[in-house]
Amino acid sequence: MSFTEWLDRNRDQVRELAIQHADLCLTAVVVAGLLGVALGVLAHRSRLATAAAQAGTSVVFTVPSLALVGLLIPVTGLTRDTVLVMLVLYALVPIVRNTIAGLRSVDGAVLEAARGMGMGPVRLLLRVQLPLAWPVILAGLRVGTQLVLGLGAIAVYVTRIGLGVLIDAGLARFGMPNSVNQALAGTLGVAVLAVAFDLAWQVVGRLTTPRGIRA
Amino acid sequence: MSGGGRGRWAGLAARPLVVALLLGGLWLWLRGQELDSIERRTINADYLLRATREHLWLTVVATLAVAALALPLGVLLTRPALRRVAPGVLTVLGVGQAVPAYGVMVLLTLRFGVGFRVAAVALVAYSLLPVLRNVVTGIGQVDPALVEAGRGMGMSRAAVLWRIELPLAVPVVLTGLRTAMVIGAGVATLATFVGAGGLGDIIINGIKLGRTPVLVTGSVLCACVALALDWAGAVAERALSPRGVS
Repeated sequence: MSFTEWLDRNRDQVRELAIQHADLCLTAVVVAGLLGVALGVLAHRSRLATAAAQAGTSVVFTVPSLALVGLLIPVTGLTRDTVLVMLVLYALVPIVRNTIAGLRSVDGAVLEAARGMGMGPVRLLLRVQLPLAWPVILAGLRVGTQLVLGLGAIAVYVTRIGLGVLIDAGLARFGMPNSVNQALAGTLGVAVLAVAFDLAWQVVGRLTTPRGIRA
Repeated sequence: MSGGGRGRWAGLAARPLVVALLLGGLWLWLRGQELDSIERRTINADYLLRATREHLWLTVVATLAVAALALPLGVLLTRPALRRVAPGVLTVLGVGQAVPAYGVMVLLTLRFGVGFRVAAVALVAYSLLPVLRNVVTGIGQVDPALVEAGRGMGMSRAAVLWRIELPLAVPVVLTGLRTAMVIGAGVATLATFVGAGGLGDIIINGIKLGRTPVLVTGSVLCACVALALDWAGAVAERALSPRGVS
């Protein structure tokens, strides 16, 4: 059976798994986004906290995903939560780093001017620092999203969700008809989601980037 | 990856410490466990060393292959004739990066069978891009005035490449290779799914048998190997960068 034929017959299953995959990854990105920007805001002021955040995130980034999952399973079990925690930890890496880098790149003279206008620290953060750092933070969110979508494929080894299910099924049926079609559908499905999410981020970027700093 | 000077040193010192703590903690914890016969089949020095060796071997072979492929390719892409297409090539490869490693590994296996070679090819496919990108960036950032000066001194194009462009690109290229090695160590855990061994075997055994000690041992060893490789890469970056180039 050709790939398109197979896909046509199994459309419902593929769609359902793709939605699961997207839902899982979106949740992870939203959680990591909120947490990561908050951590970045807290850490960017102090050199020590920045160094600690950088060392911490590079350790997380170095640990292979399967190993991280293996360390989480004894705590949270073979559940969706385990996968979610793993994905959030990886997504945090680019988001925290870029938030810190973005906030640090804000011109000191601009901050001085804002303070001189009588802005307090909270208003300064919300009205000046975050808007100016936003393109860099956005880039971190994009990288984090791509990372999470790819890693989501190994969720299947914890609990049977996401497009990894198709890849795993293809491998389990090694040598039988349609095993390649299944694995291909899972693999390409993730790639399609990755492109779709990236386009969505581009739209979000257009809509949310302050007019004065648009490229 | 590189913060200020202090952050970099902190990172360099922190990694061996984390590895030592992880391994020490694992050893103490395992000593306190009563291992049953199934667990002992995995948690013994022979088996653990073999899996670690397989894992390291796979990662190192793939990293060397990536270096052998990416360096000439990167040099080609920065020659005047091809310089224009370089961004396009990198973008196409970047899109390829969004394809999950697990899927690529499985598809290669379904097509070519199980084993070390297929796993190595998947590793190479995954870690080629960061190295290639860094070779192109590294050579691209060399000040054109220096290349001009070299030519003016009567150096041939090849001499300019060997004596000016490549040495100046070394730090960026090494950073790329280090990233590739870490990605490789991660993808190598997936080699277990295609019968190529490695530490992923232990992790998957642990999950499938529901044996926490096996699972934790595999995961901790795997994390330690990746952290140690990353640390070795960082040290090599410092040691191998030509003097006067930071």
